[in-house]
Amino acid sequence: MEAARRLRDQTLVGAGVIVLALGLAYGALDIPSDAGYAGVGPNFLPWVVAISLLVCGAFLVYEAQSGGFRDMEDGDDEKPYWPGFVWMSTGMLVNAALITTIGFVFSCALCFVLASRGLRNSQGPQTGGVRAWGTDIAVGLLIAAPVYWMFTKFLAISLPGLTQSGWL
Amino acid sequence: MEIWNQLLQGFATAGTPVNLLWAFVGCALGTAVGVLPGIGPATAVAMLLPITAKVDATASMIFFAGIYYGAMYGGSTTSILLNTPGETASMVTAMEGNKMAKSGRAGAALATSAIGSFFAGTIATIVVTLFAPIVAEFAVKLGPPEYFCLMLLAFTTVSAVLGQSTVRGLTALFVGLAAGLIGMDQITGQARYAGQVPELLDGVEIVLVAVGLFAVAEALHAVLFEGKIVESENKMSRVHMDRSDWRRSVPAWIRGTLIGTPFGCIPAGGTEIPTFLSYATEKKLAKGENLKEFGTKGAIEGVAGPEAANNATVTAALIPLLTLGIPVSNTTAILLGAFQNYGIQPGPQLFSSSSALVWALIASLYIGNVMLLVLNLPLVGFWVKLLKVPKPQLYAGILIFATVGAYGMRQSAFDLFLLYAIGVLGLVMRRFSFPTAPVVVGMILGPLAEAQLRNAMSIGEGSPMIFLQRPMSATLLVIVVVVLLAPRIIKQFSRRSIEAIG
Repeated sequence: MEAARRLRDQTLVGAGVIVLALGLAYGALDIPSDAGYAGVGPNFLPWVVAISLLVCGAFLVYEAQSGGFRDMEDGDDEKPYWPGFVWMSTGMLVNAALITTIGFVFSCALCFVLASRGLRNSQGPQTGGVRAWGTDIAVGLLIAAPVYWMFTKFLAISLPGLTQSGWL
Repeated sequence: MEIWNQLLQGFATAGTPVNLLWAFVGCALGTAVGVLPGIGPATAVAMLLPITAKVDATASMIFFAGIYYGAMYGGSTTSILLNTPGETASMVTAMEGNKMAKSGRAGAALATSAIGSFFAGTIATIVVTLFAPIVAEFAVKLGPPEYFCLMLLAFTTVSAVLGQSTVRGLTALFVGLAAGLIGMDQITGQARYAGQVPELLDGVEIVLVAVGLFAVAEALHAVLFEGKIVESENKMSRVHMDRSDWRRSVPAWIRGTLIGTPFGCIPAGGTEIPTFLSYATEKKLAKGENLKEFGTKGAIEGVAGPEAANNATVTAALIPLLTLGIPVSNTTAILLGAFQNYGIQPGPQLFSSSSALVWALIASLYIGNVMLLVLNLPLVGFWVKLLKVPKPQLYAGILIFATVGAYGMRQSAFDLFLLYAIGVLGLVMRRFSFPTAPVVVGMILGPLAEAQLRNAMSIGEGSPMIFLQRPMSATLLVIVVVVLLAPRIIKQFSRRSIEAIG
């Protein structure tokens, strides 16, 4: 059962590569071929890449269908913990969505708390409780704020703030 | 003599208090990221690429070189003390180093790896000092066809030769090349694959790809698969080597350096082959009691040799990077990206056009090696504490730094969504054992190679025969074929010899 699923996943990866190749080929149709003296124009490499990926994808599907990818590292049998993945993904996407509105410090601290929650939960049955949340919020702010100051004040890299003061 | 003067000039530049501080911070940060699991030199340099907008070129290259270097020292500390396999570069160190630590000799293992790294790093830096200018002088004579063939060589080695599977390596390479295609074509200015998204017209930032593939993918992998892994740490012991340790280490360092340096010089990259070769050599040369220690109590030669080989390779890899502009690993590819941010294209002209920068960089390697020896011998206890950082905070913290790198580059929240998408892609790649180095190398080198290809074809008035008509490029094409085959044979051979004696 497990093995069958692995083969199915590998086939999907190969198929994904093929889809990417077709997408690139479709995009390459729009690129003019005006080559000048070179004989190869701006659309040359896109076609090379698209065709090569198509070949690679087909080969990957073939490998998956005939016993699986070759020379894989072993020991990748752990079960994925999807709830943790969702926590972390939410953290990152929320960060991306909010960073310009609530500023770097709070947005990153929020991302930190959500990601850390996912990682904590992945380690075992619901760890912590209120105290763990508190710790994460504190640590998140304690990392995000100095990082913000260091980069904006010393290195003059502009990161979004909540206020114009440059401290938050 | 000219080299000597230029080197002294370099020391004068690198030795200013500000630059010394950059070197020190770089070395310390490098050691830290080397020690911390889940973040390596490539990620660290990539995250810090935004500083190239403000910090001057010499200072930031010294800083990045410190990180590049420091991570090699730090990585061995982790592989000796933690019972989890680390990155490939320190995998071999882990084999014997871990055994030594288990039998109470962690201190000796750490000492031999730090001193060996220092020894090999310094020798290899001398090689860089002496040979890089010569290679540069020679490389000036190369034209577009030769450059294209050299880049082809780099592509082949990084994708097809290193790593486990050629087809997965090539897939990764072409994915990287595809990413490099996005944006404006270098020669005609034609927009490619940008769709209606103005952000894509400038191309995909290297920071995004590197940080996404390494840092974000690492964090996602950790939350999905590593929650239940319990890490155990070996006990530290006093960092000290006795007489017999020295007697056994010194020849191993020398051999490791001799093996590692040439591997770094050729644009064939990867520390995997030289470290394995060094390990096999040490095992073969060991006799009696010492041989019995291999794989049981842990033999000190098995740490000393590969560690030296590793650092020698990594240092010598700066020769192809600086003189030809050809990176063959994740970190050197990102260093190339850093140069590009300053509008500097590493290559033979670098030694004449940015001579002050190059020599300051080389001088800083000598200085950095000394700093790292101090940081890693007397102060190793401090770094070991980093291993106690709890996983949730570590990875969540890495995401904050990833945000700085991704957002700081061009102040666009769009990039953060892209970062996440690339992270998911990296997760899939990691899960199915696709190597990541070809993606990064392909993306950075791809546009350069394309320009060289088209220029070369223009010289040949549209005929690809130009690559065969010029003796040098024809030779290089032959080398591509040889390189494609030779490491396979060596690898097979070294694997067989490890099996034979193991």
